[in-house]
Amino acid sequence: MNLILFDLALVGYLLATALALVHLVQRQEAIYRLAVLVTLAGWVLHTLALVVRGVEVGRPPLGTLVEAMSVVGWAAVLFTLWAERQYGVKVLGAFVLPLVALSGVSGAWLPPGLTDLAPALRNAWISIHVVLAMLGIAAFILNFAGGVMYLLQEHQLKVKRPGALYYRLPSLETLDRMTYRALTLGFPFLTLGLLLGALWARTAWGSVFAFDPLALFSFLAWLVYAATLGGRVVAGWRGRRAAYFAVVGFGVLLLTLGAGLLLPGRHGS
Amino acid sequence: MPELFVSGLSHKTAPIALREQLAVEEDKLREILVDVHGAGVLSEVVILSTCNRVEVYGVADVPGEARALAFRRLGQHRGLDLSQVEPLLYTKSGAEAIHHCFRVAASLDSMLLGEPQILGQVKDAFALAQHCQAVGPLLHHLWTQAFAVAKKVRTETELARHAVSVSYAAVELARKIFGTLEGKAVLLIGAGKMGELAAKQLVDQGAFPVYVTNRTWARAQEMARALSGTAVPFDAWAETLATMDIVITSTGATEPIVRRADVERCLQGRRSRPLFFIDIGVPRDVEPGVNELEAVFCYDIDDLRQVVESNLRERLREAQKAEALVEREVVKFTARAQDLEVVPTIVSLRERLEAIRRGEVEKAYGVLPNADAQTRRAIEAMSQAIVNKILHTPTVKLRELSRGGHVRSWTEMVHELFGLGGRGEEK
Repeated sequence: MNLILFDLALVGYLLATALALVHLVQRQEAIYRLAVLVTLAGWVLHTLALVVRGVEVGRPPLGTLVEAMSVVGWAAVLFTLWAERQYGVKVLGAFVLPLVALSGVSGAWLPPGLTDLAPALRNAWISIHVVLAMLGIAAFILNFAGGVMYLLQEHQLKVKRPGALYYRLPSLETLDRMTYRALTLGFPFLTLGLLLGALWARTAWGSVFAFDPLALFSFLAWLVYAATLGGRVVAGWRGRRAAYFAVVGFGVLLLTLGAGLLLPGRHGS
Repeated sequence: MPELFVSGLSHKTAPIALREQLAVEEDKLREILVDVHGAGVLSEVVILSTCNRVEVYGVADVPGEARALAFRRLGQHRGLDLSQVEPLLYTKSGAEAIHHCFRVAASLDSMLLGEPQILGQVKDAFALAQHCQAVGPLLHHLWTQAFAVAKKVRTETELARHAVSVSYAAVELARKIFGTLEGKAVLLIGAGKMGELAAKQLVDQGAFPVYVTNRTWARAQEMARALSGTAVPFDAWAETLATMDIVITSTGATEPIVRRADVERCLQGRRSRPLFFIDIGVPRDVEPGVNELEAVFCYDIDDLRQVVESNLRERLREAQKAEALVEREVVKFTARAQDLEVVPTIVSLRERLEAIRRGEVEKAYGVLPNADAQTRRAIEAMSQAIVNKILHTPTVKLRELSRGGHVRSWTEMVHELFGLGGRGEEK
């Protein structure tokens, strides 16, 4: 049952991605409204799928990497719908939805993973650790998309040849504010999430980073985001520099995911 | 049988020399309108007269005659003979006239695609004709719909979105950088007309405070007053650079005034806040290398022209969307208009048959005084079924035929055949 729901949600996201890209090219209001509706439908199905999955396996659906990635996609879609309204950035979906759809597709190809977890991991603290970290990562997807959009728009303005994207992307100021907001939204989540994970690791295994590449990489990503935030607050880093950091931070998050999937460690499923 | 038509000339068909001779101001137009309408050839008429087009929208039995009358009268004003005008006129009727009217109002037929003035001119022309009581139901319906279509084009496409003048293009670029211009500090260097215009437009959009500097102190003060800004001595402007957001230069200097080194120095305290140079001076007032600095954007007059050109191409692309929208609206409009023509006939036909049915049913009850409720129900149902069955095909057919034109001849035939009375008596 829940696999059908996940598939339906994924179909919704794929369709919404296509519509958002068509809107990016055609800029037709009707297509944008349809894209939002389809996104919303996909998100509702996704929510149901997560709930049903939780009921079926008798624990929060956060135990495996694939499950966790699914939660990231779920939160990223939610944040995107909010940010599009809050900042009037209608083309945001065209940048975020492809990532969500891609992660959904790759998630569907990966083995569904265990349904039974090691006793050490059957703990409410672990669930909270995962949820917080995943919410943070979802916000950083927005941060990344905002940074990419900023760099594209800045490039258009610098070379003075307004191309198609110049007309579709919002002002640098709007993009900078949205990117920064995503950072301030994601950073506390990631910080708390990592902190809980570290505390648990020390209690359970006696060491914070013991044999766990994923923990190491996520700490590296945290450092990048902490540096961006610090630079912004202390030295007023913004604009292009903030956008570059958003891209680098996301790159490290991707490495973290890769480490979790390929290297053995405590997070492996 | 009266017909809707439009006849006229525009920048596409007639040279300016002729257009300016035909174009008339409002008072004269009122006079001409009253004369033309009073001649009795046109039952309804609106005349649109701008510097780019003179067009007569009318309803007449013989459009050719009406058009000759109208343009003879329009030409008479400046001694222009009809034979000089006639070869340049286009005339469209029916759906084509509707299409033309919608395109004109939506600024799709304008010399500068999407320019906003035309809708105001169209509205004025309509108001004037209404004032002269020259507007009847057909033109009223058409023109109010044309306003709605124009509005739809403006909100649903970006036909009129992007600037096509250099100074406004600069304002738009500023908005792409800063989002809002509210509270953005502006420095105007030099007294060029175009620089002042750009500064004025920035101020209109909320830019504040404004500083003005010029080699001639008196001129700086004068311009500062005009822009409600502050005058800054010419040797001191470089010190204010650090607090500025937008700098407009338009001086007659032969050497660049704003040097890369000056700008680089001011960047240190700015924390990557963007700085936008609009250089309207020829030769250029800002050193080209300035654009390479982080968070600094510098557009000279050629760059701005290039943006305008690209905006025009964008308008052309949007125009295709707008054309499709207008075509859909024309189809909707004609379908609705024809339906409206057929509906009264269908209604009176139904009323007529219903009256016959009632009369015959009463007669039947007269010969069946003891009929019980069941019999009565059966008689009612049967008679209603007969009426509905008879009406079904004519109703469908009338609607169908009306879509192919010839509405009037069909409805008239139905009225004649069923003795429904004159067309004027229907509801």
